[in-house]
Formats: sequence, structure tokens, C-alpha cells
Amino acid sequence: MIITKKRDLKDLMENVKNYRSFFLLGCSECATLCGTGGEPELKAMKEALEAEGKAVAGTFVAKTGCQVLGTKVELKPFKEAMDKTDCIIVMSCGAGTQTAVDLYEDKAVFPANDSLFLGNMTRLQFFDERCSLCGKCILDKTGGICPITACPKGLLNGPCGGCKDGYCEISPDIKCAWVRIYERMKKLDKLQEFCEVTIEAKDWSASQKPRALTAREEKKK
Amino acid sequence: MSFKDILNSGKFVVTAEVGPPKGTDIKEMLHHMEILKGKVDAVNVTDNQSAVMRICSMAVSRTAMEHGLEPIFQMTCRDRNRIGLQSDLLGASILGIKNVLCMTGDHVSAGDHKGAKPVYDVESVQLLKIVDGLNNGKDMSGNELKGSTDFFQGAVVTPEANPIEPQLIKFEKKIRAGAKFFQTQAIYDIEKFKDFMKHARKFPVKILAGFVVLKSAGMANFLNNNVPGIRVPQVLIDELKAAGKEKALDTGMNITARHIKQLKEEKICDGVHIMAIGMEDKVPEIMERAGLP
Repeated sequence: MIITKKRDLKDLMENVKNYRSFFLLGCSECATLCGTGGEPELKAMKEALEAEGKAVAGTFVAKTGCQVLGTKVELKPFKEAMDKTDCIIVMSCGAGTQTAVDLYEDKAVFPANDSLFLGNMTRLQFFDERCSLCGKCILDKTGGICPITACPKGLLNGPCGGCKDGYCEISPDIKCAWVRIYERMKKLDKLQEFCEVTIEAKDWSASQKPRALTAREEKKK
Repeated sequence: MSFKDILNSGKFVVTAEVGPPKGTDIKEMLHHMEILKGKVDAVNVTDNQSAVMRICSMAVSRTAMEHGLEPIFQMTCRDRNRIGLQSDLLGASILGIKNVLCMTGDHVSAGDHKGAKPVYDVESVQLLKIVDGLNNGKDMSGNELKGSTDFFQGAVVTPEANPIEPQLIKFEKKIRAGAKFFQTQAIYDIEKFKDFMKHARKFPVKILAGFVVLKSAGMANFLNNNVPGIRVPQVLIDELKAAGKEKALDTGMNITARHIKQLKEEKICDGVHIMAIGMEDKVPEIMERAGLP
């Protein structure tokens, strides 16, 4: 999921200081799990805005805020509230924020959250970055652990000289990705592969921005 | 004779280090070069060491040549992508730089520009392959070069890494990628180093043992606690303690000299790399105490 964290409320209030009437848009997927865009967070934001003397014309938690058409349909019943709104605060990720930008060309849209990374929830509201969306998966070569993400240097062929007792030079809290990969490959009896294969330099053209994909066309073929 | 020829001649080689300064005042650096000139076989020129921004290693490598030293141009993958790295290698080549040491590079979080974007487009193993390619007239994309390079390329290894197995696997990958010589992280336990050398001797590469002179027991403890891959045995820490504050540096120099002497006499490795870190003026004395010419 996309991991988000609340922006500093002071910064957000500075962004919206010239607007009077607001619509709050959350998301029931990642942002709800992150505690940044579910019902309780929307309620708290509404109270914060009202405390500043602002009006909140409506609030809604979209099912999937990054799904543009679905969100458009879901927001249809809120036309009246939207008409009264001069500013939308989106309480999901950067993608969700831009859904609102797409749907409401004439309204100001501001993000309530910073979008951090694609992560796994390891326990309630503990998130770890596991995938960098690099565009060309190498997990098949690394025992299923991604060094592009788990190693701060994204090394592809083993640990650097900064590995100390199995931990990373940048933080004693980070286990060395390549020690983890080594240990897993050993368990899987695949050390031979670890030793013999030199992974080639990555082709970063697969992550050239902005990326787009039309999965429907591929289906037709 | 070039560093490569000296190393291949079987002579026990000595390399030292020159750290480019932060700023354009190079008086002190030139003084260090003067001290090392004629004493050591080559000097490593560090590449924004510890991710602290300084003069680039290529310019200082060339300066070293102009002052009678043979440079080993250190190149990390932290600050340049594959285009920048290859372009700088070609540039170094036309400046007459012959030796290159390929390393990954300390992370930017260790340095003085913590908000910098770390590059690591390629890493040490792949950089070695790039150098090998350029030596054979091809760039990384397979394009033909108009004139190839002729680098003698090396890499680094940490003989006391913990765990050691992944480090040794990477060491072999570096050899397969074309590394001809290795300079090691600082070592303090010769018996343990012999174990590493038993493994390293299976491969046709030259090994230079790394040395960082201990200035005090406090420094030894600091290295043990903070620097990956360095392990100063307690017996050496005790020796430094027993020497007392005033004699600690002298004792540290003796320890280094004693170890170097043993490595040479027992033909354990092919040479040594002395990282003086601000004590370049002591290098000739350490060499003298080690019985090196």
C-alpha cells in the first residue's frame, strides 16, 4: 500500500488560509490503514477547520481514491456540497489528491498528507518499505528480498564495506539487505547461485517518469 | 616503473593515501605529497571520502603525478551515474592516470551534504566491469570507443567483515569482474589475516594489507565500536594503554611497523597500504621501523 503521514497542520492551514468553505476527501484503502484519511481523521480535520472559523460543506471517504472514475461516481451525490466548496482537502496519497484535481478543475485542491513509500504493514500501523516500483523486478535473483529497496545504496551484488555485524552503516536498526539475502539463499540451498551470478547494472529506463500503462490493450492481444 | 609493473615484479609494495582538501588551498596536501615522494610506490587519492565534499580525486591524481607520485585514482559510485563514471574514466585516461580503485562509496548520510541524492547507478562490481570494457575498447552499452583506456584496476575488501561469507563472495565477484589488485580495510590481527590470505591466494590477484596507525587506546576502542570491518584485538589495546598517553602514538607506530615487517618477512601478502589520515609525515618513519627501504 501507499504509506502516508499527516503533513504539519500549520503548513496546511497556511495553504488554505484564503479559503472559507471546504470539502474533505479521504480514502478507505491505504490512507485508512495508515490512519491519515479514514473517518476519524476526517472528523478531526473538520473540527480543526471549524476551530479556525472555516466551514466544512461535506466530507467523504472514497472507496479507492486513486480510481478516478469510481471516485467521480461516488462523489455525484455530493454535488450540492461541492458547489458550496471553494477548497478540497484530500486526506489520502498524492495520487488521490490528483484524482480531485482531475475531477474539479475549478477548485483549489490541497494535500493533507505526505506520500512516503510503497510499503507493507508488519503490525498495526508499522510500515516497512519493500518495493521501489523500479519497473523491472529482480526478486527472482535475490531470494525474494529486494536490495534496490532494502539496501540504502541499492547494491546488486553483495554487501558493501559498511556492513557491521550484519547491520547497515547508515543505521544500526537496519539489517544489511545482502546479509539477509545471503542467509535466505543459504536456507534455500541456493548459495551457488548467489556466488556465481553477477547481476548486471539495472536498466533504469523501465522507471522513466511519467509512466503509464494500458492493461486493456494488452488483453486484446 | 609503473605501480602495475612494480606489483607484478614481486617487490613488496607500499602505498599511502592523499586526502584532497576541502577548498582550493592545497599547500598542506602538496607538503604531504613531498613527504611521500620517492618513499612509496603509489598513493591513493580518495574520492570525497566519508561523503564529505572536497576537491575531486581526478584533479588531485593528476597533481600527484606532476609532483612525482604515481596516483591510484579512487572512484566511488555514490556521486556519478554510468555516463559520468565512464566519462571521468576516459578523462583520467588522457590525463595519464593509470590506476583506478573501484569502490561503492560511503553513503551520503555519513557526510556533510546529507540531503544529497545518492546515485549508485552502478556499484563496485559493475564499475570494475565498466573499466574492463573501456580497456577493451567498448563502453558499457557496447559502443566502440575511439581509443581505449589502459587502466590497472583494483578494488577493496574487508578481511574481518562480520559475517565474512557474503564479503568473500563479493570479493570473488570483483575478481571475475576484472579486479587485479585489492587494498584491504585496516587489519590488526595478523593470524586472522593469514586465514583470509589462504583464501585470497587461490586467485590471481595482488593483495595489499591496509593499515591505520593507532594513536591511542581510545582510538582503538572507537574504531572497534564505530568502523565496520575493523577489529583491534584487546592485546593491542592493552599495549597502547600500558605505553601511557605520551608514548601511545609511538607505540601505535611500532605496532604498525611490526605487523608490516611480519607480513613482508613471512611473505603473507604482496604489500601494504598505509592510511595515515593526517599523519602522512609519519609514514616514512613507520616504513623505516618496518625495515622497508
